[in-house]
Amino acid sequence: MRRLRFQPIAGRTEEIIDAILQTEEVASCGKALYAVHLVCEELVVNVVSYAYPPEAEGYLVVEIERTDTCLTIRFRDGGVAFNPLEKEMPDVSLPLEERPIGGLGIFLTLQMMDDVSYERVQDENVLTIKKEIHE
Amino acid sequence: MDNQFTVQQDGNMLTIVLDEQLTTNNAPALMEELNQYKGKAIEKVIFDATKLTYIASSGIRTIIFAKQKLGGNPEIEFVNCGADIRSVFEMTGLQSYITFVSK
Repeated sequence: MRRLRFQPIAGRTEEIIDAILQTEEVASCGKALYAVHLVCEELVVNVVSYAYPPEAEGYLVVEIERTDTCLTIRFRDGGVAFNPLEKEMPDVSLPLEERPIGGLGIFLTLQMMDDVSYERVQDENVLTIKKEIHE
Repeated sequence: MDNQFTVQQDGNMLTIVLDEQLTTNNAPALMEELNQYKGKAIEKVIFDATKLTYIASSGIRTIIFAKQKLGGNPEIEFVNCGADIRSVFEMTGLQSYITFVSK
């Protein structure tokens, strides 16, 4: 398992996403890379923007595991307890003119990954995503 | 810079030429730029996606913003949209509101 740890995280969204994408485990995901990129961006942005109060020096740990057929990424932060899976999903059948502008990030995460789970463990938010890799 | 964009108004048409990525990093700036065209009778917004390889949900927000907030419910057109990006539009139900054009 590869483990990346970022602290502080404020203002480092792009750097954190790039570091994840550049790991061998993720870079070798082929066709699944687009989905993994989009989902990692959503989850990292959420932690950097909302997990910690502005004055706090927050951290984010990213654990990456790869088998021939599956990529698993676990995001752990010590911020305020937040289960993004409990957010109300946007109604994508609404006409575009009537849609709320935001809220698509977690919806797309659930659409694009094969499994997404949340746990609160020892004062940490632990969000795990799994993507099957078919090459 | 890799991830910039240009916006040009031609009468009631707005053309946005995108670079390789529309992400959380540059989508807010595009939304701010689009905000300046509010109430200017824009009837059509063309996104030139010839170079675009990646759009995040923040990028999709700019498209919804263009449709809803410019006024006049403009037509949205995407030029040379790649398959990955089109599939994100399909997941979010946007594809029915976008005209896809290959040039």
